[in-house]
Amino acid sequence: MRRKQENYKELIWMLAKTDFKLRYQGSVLGYFWALLKPFLMFAVLNFVFSNVFGRGANIKYYPLQLLISLILFNFFAEGTRAGLISLQFKSSLVTKIYVPRWTIILSSTVSSALIFVMNLVAVILFFVYYKFMPAPELILMFILFSILTYVLIISFSFIAALLYIKFRDLLMIWDVLVSVLMYATPIIYSLQMLPRNVQQIILINPMAFIIHFNKETLFNRHFPDPWQMFGFMFAVALIFALSIWVYRINSPRIAEYM
Amino acid sequence: MSNKSGLAVKIDNVSKSFVIPHQRIRSIRSAFVNIFNKQTFETFKALDGVSLEIKQGEFFGIIGRNGSGKSTLLKILANIYPADSGKVWVASGVSPFLELGIGFNPELSGRDNIYLNATILGMRKKQIDNKFNEIVAFSEVERFIDQKLANYSSGMSVRLAFSVAVHANRDILLMDEVLAVGDIGFQKKCFEVFEDLKKKGKTIILVSHDMQQVEKHCQRVALIDRGKLLFCGSPQSAVENFNNVINKS
Repeated sequence: MRRKQENYKELIWMLAKTDFKLRYQGSVLGYFWALLKPFLMFAVLNFVFSNVFGRGANIKYYPLQLLISLILFNFFAEGTRAGLISLQFKSSLVTKIYVPRWTIILSSTVSSALIFVMNLVAVILFFVYYKFMPAPELILMFILFSILTYVLIISFSFIAALLYIKFRDLLMIWDVLVSVLMYATPIIYSLQMLPRNVQQIILINPMAFIIHFNKETLFNRHFPDPWQMFGFMFAVALIFALSIWVYRINSPRIAEYM
Repeated sequence: MSNKSGLAVKIDNVSKSFVIPHQRIRSIRSAFVNIFNKQTFETFKALDGVSLEIKQGEFFGIIGRNGSGKSTLLKILANIYPADSGKVWVASGVSPFLELGIGFNPELSGRDNIYLNATILGMRKKQIDNKFNEIVAFSEVERFIDQKLANYSSGMSVRLAFSVAVHANRDILLMDEVLAVGDIGFQKKCFEVFEDLKKKGKTIILVSHDMQQVEKHCQRVALIDRGKLLFCGSPQSAVENFNNVINKS
């Protein structure tokens, strides 16, 4: 027997808003705290790779490429982390009352998406500063890549949030994996710097695919092949379907394991 | 299925077991370490073939010893646990709760907590807007409504939580020992509210260890022991039966 929750949209929004408020309240610079992490990282990496190693110097708009990639990856890292801990973090909503459990998972990713959008506002300022204006169709591609990232976050969260109830060391493992994944993703370097056979392996990582082709389209107008793009979108859709399937099977019993 | 008119809850031959492993694996590391070890476990039957009908507008009590399955029964009614077998039917449009102030956060103001908690209980924003003043007035915390909940005394936050709960306008209220926290004055006020809700046709299902309360307020009482329904009927007989159960063991 499943009971429906009539106000689930308001519930998701309310939980997301509360998450957001709790994270940044109490600091006058609340909004800037949300921006600080990716932009501080950008400042450090940009300094190291533009000046110390000098590798970035011969890549067109290297700082912008680095920034947009970091923001996208940060979205993925924060979103998956928030999704992973969501059910455990709000365990009273699972064990003391019934609300559809997916609303809890989804709301935690919504607040990460909010921060991502806030970050983008600051990114626009950088684009203005570097006098780089992408064409509308390129911006559309970026939006498409952002949506694909979000679908990946949701898919990961639906499975990981359930697993985290059983395996409490999953968060530590994921934190480590994310930092490995960051260097396995062409953020600070570009894919072309690697040997061809390594490129193929790197692109198995969906975030590498997204970030690589986002840079290529935005800065070089080099679009992925249609079959490649559709293949990727199909794979993401498949992962999403799989996550919903796993969620539907496992979610009714989770309260017993908490 | 049989006729359900006038019923709030109908459960038929419901059973629920929990698997209790002897060594609970809580991390991927220990899952790897124990990959070749056979997992031993025992099953604990929390509910064993319980059938029950509760009418709309009834004040229904559930009593029993600790670990007898009362809370499991409530959680099955609340859809938190699925039943292993048997049929569970609960009148539609209800979102029952077992604890007051779910989602309450000490870092948020009383106002934000009201909106958060009421949304979790299934209210829409408009409904909360309309009832906001009533909720605040009933809880008697007007002066502090924009302060952080962390600054409230425990009595104040319980009053606030209870106030939201009764204004959430649910048709069925599931209460699991929620009244144990308040002082006598507050408990009295709670039961006044319950009587009022009963007049409005709401169903109240109360789990309690306070036999006086149960005898005074409940219309019918179910006695559960070791997962089985031993008795269901008048409060006086239920309490009598309960005393027998305790004396026997």
